[in-house]
Amino acid sequence: MGNRLGRYAIWIGIALAGALCWGILALGRGETVNAGWMLFAAIASYAIAYRFYSRFIANRVLGVDDNRATPGERLDNGRDFEPMDRRILFGHHFAAIAGAGPLVGPVLAAQMGFLPGTIWIIVGVILAGAVQDMTILFFSMRRDGKTLGQMAREEIGPVGGAAALVAVLSIMIILLAVLALVVVNALADSPWGSFSIAMTLPIALLMGFYLRFLRPGRVLEVSAIGVGLLILAIIGGGWISESSGYAAAWTFSGVTIAFALIIYGFVASVLPVWVLLAPRDYLSTFMKIGTILLLAVGIAIVLPTMQMPRLTDFAYSATGGPVAPVGPLFPFVFITVACGALSGFHSLIASGTTPKLIQKESQVRMIGYGAMLMESFVAVMAMIAACVLDPGIYFAMNAPAAVVGGTAESAASAVSSLGFSVSPETLSQTASDVGESSIIARTGGAPTLAVGMAYIFSGVTAFLGGLEAFWYHFAIMFEALFILTTVDAGTRVGRFMLQDLMGNVYEPFRNASWLPGNLITSALIVAAWGYFLVVGVLDPLGGINQLFPLFGIANQLLAAVALTVATTILIKMGKLKYIWVTLVPLAWDAVVTLTASWQKIFHADPRIGFFAQRSAAQEALANGEPFTGTSSLAQTEQIITNATVDGILSIIFALAIIVVIVDAARVWVGLIFGSEEPEMHEAPYEPSEIESPPATVTAMASNRDA
Amino acid sequence: MRSRVLQPVKYAWEYLKEISGENAYDRYLAIHAATHPGKPPMGRGEFYRWRQDEKYNNPGSRCP
Repeated sequence: MGNRLGRYAIWIGIALAGALCWGILALGRGETVNAGWMLFAAIASYAIAYRFYSRFIANRVLGVDDNRATPGERLDNGRDFEPMDRRILFGHHFAAIAGAGPLVGPVLAAQMGFLPGTIWIIVGVILAGAVQDMTILFFSMRRDGKTLGQMAREEIGPVGGAAALVAVLSIMIILLAVLALVVVNALADSPWGSFSIAMTLPIALLMGFYLRFLRPGRVLEVSAIGVGLLILAIIGGGWISESSGYAAAWTFSGVTIAFALIIYGFVASVLPVWVLLAPRDYLSTFMKIGTILLLAVGIAIVLPTMQMPRLTDFAYSATGGPVAPVGPLFPFVFITVACGALSGFHSLIASGTTPKLIQKESQVRMIGYGAMLMESFVAVMAMIAACVLDPGIYFAMNAPAAVVGGTAESAASAVSSLGFSVSPETLSQTASDVGESSIIARTGGAPTLAVGMAYIFSGVTAFLGGLEAFWYHFAIMFEALFILTTVDAGTRVGRFMLQDLMGNVYEPFRNASWLPGNLITSALIVAAWGYFLVVGVLDPLGGINQLFPLFGIANQLLAAVALTVATTILIKMGKLKYIWVTLVPLAWDAVVTLTASWQKIFHADPRIGFFAQRSAAQEALANGEPFTGTSSLAQTEQIITNATVDGILSIIFALAIIVVIVDAARVWVGLIFGSEEPEMHEAPYEPSEIESPPATVTAMASNRDA
Repeated sequence: MRSRVLQPVKYAWEYLKEISGENAYDRYLAIHAATHPGKPPMGRGEFYRWRQDEKYNNPGSRCP
């Protein structure tokens, strides 16, 4: 008895400490809160969830069995199947799921105050996001690494399967457009940023050549060279921005950058991967992990105070705040935070690649649940970085140009009408501190995050004189680099999907190395996301506001598909009493996604509902006046077209989610009340011969040969 | 004392080498020797070129 109490005493201590941090965070008396409380509230919550809930899911709900051989062990071929050390696989899996989503989403959600977003990031990951990743990873592993689409088709039926496929392809397009738009907004009119990002091209070419011909397989040394050159490129960007002649030559408008990205995306998709894609992949992975570690250390050292209130007035408003995506707290905070709490995209990685590399079944807990907790922690840090800024600066940066105007004076007066205060001098000073000409209406989240990170990092490097401008562009570079890598890789994935699809019509398309097929499908994918990108850049009301909700809804829709598949398989496994584990997050996700879709389609406020916006703009056009926020009739016509396209997409997404859930519900009713025997598609049981996972370092490489 | 300080560094270095795929060729040689005795294995350059093409021709997805 005493022994048992001793074992749990430490967990009781952690629970009490976590509760204390949450209490101070949510209910403290002071105006501002130190970021440390948020950090520790998150860590304590993760620790308890991992120790108890993920263990419960692994042992009771899924029934992991270490005596059963994993596909990595049974089908080991040293290529896509192999029993990989769990720590190495954790790294690979985390690098694949961590992207720009968890960094951008929390920044945009901070407009409601730090509390709503933070609660969802932490509670959402524990009860929904990590559960989705872990269960899908386990089910795919039991099926030799089948993809989510294949599992949807086999376990639910052809209708649900087809809806899932359509969802995946269309989501990919919107996703690439939104991410590219974030980059455009960060680089427009910034010679420093444009120069450093452009320099990543020759650096990648050099790395690709080195790795292919000079020193094959020496990834570490080539990445070290690449990172060194990147730092030089950032420093060089500073010189460029100071010399007036070069600065003018490197200053580009948003549209120019958008077309440059489109051409680049096409070229990168057509060329062999070793030229551009693979070296950029290494570079961005190392930058990503390095910067995330740096941010964690920076926050822990500086322990900044968060200036943003717990809740802003916008949290209570029926139409939300000025920052895109505009809309009330429920449901829009939940589709904005996206990746840090629950991301459907992870189910694509958790099915397919990672399950083929697992060594022991019980490791789905560390890799599925654990990596997602870490992703959520990245989102918490992004929230902190956004909230250490003065709220006045935050709103001047994130409200669209239609609200804040173009000058420091107009922005300062717009911010004061929002209920915050900032002086025009502060805005100009902040811009010049980070080496930019202006920070007004730099929407999309990335620049805000970069200013926040520059604030934290320059606190660490204060003994060197701050280096705020360097750190700002370091952060911009890091975000742009890995967003662009996602754009490259996403275009390529879309191209393969499309080639596969068109192969049904004309066989040669299936052959990935058939040049005409390569060119045509690459062009189609690039044209699709390029269309939304250019439209978003030109959108007079700010493209982020139009596209971000579509992206968030699509991502949550994919999560609904994944959770539906997981629930179906749990019922088939005879685990009916535990289906709440996936059914509760599914129900919540469906309510959020459908409410958001409903509001984007039917809301009467033209700032929220696409069709309300369309009719308001049509009315303005009929009266011969430009629509609010636009300056000409041509722009008004553009709004009408955009609102129509986006509205129709919202309808398609909402219908897809309804089709998947209704089709699955049909299967569930048949399984629970019918006499039919559930048909399982698991690979047959084979005993495992690998010993339990070794704990020492030296075993990391050697145990793989076991 | 010295080994205590160096242990984490060694760990991190091993981890990086393993995760970046620098050790992949050695593992390939071992598997090849076991499964295809007598046949000459691919050279280092050929192996990494083949591995890279293989990886990107069967792309998984990644997260935003």
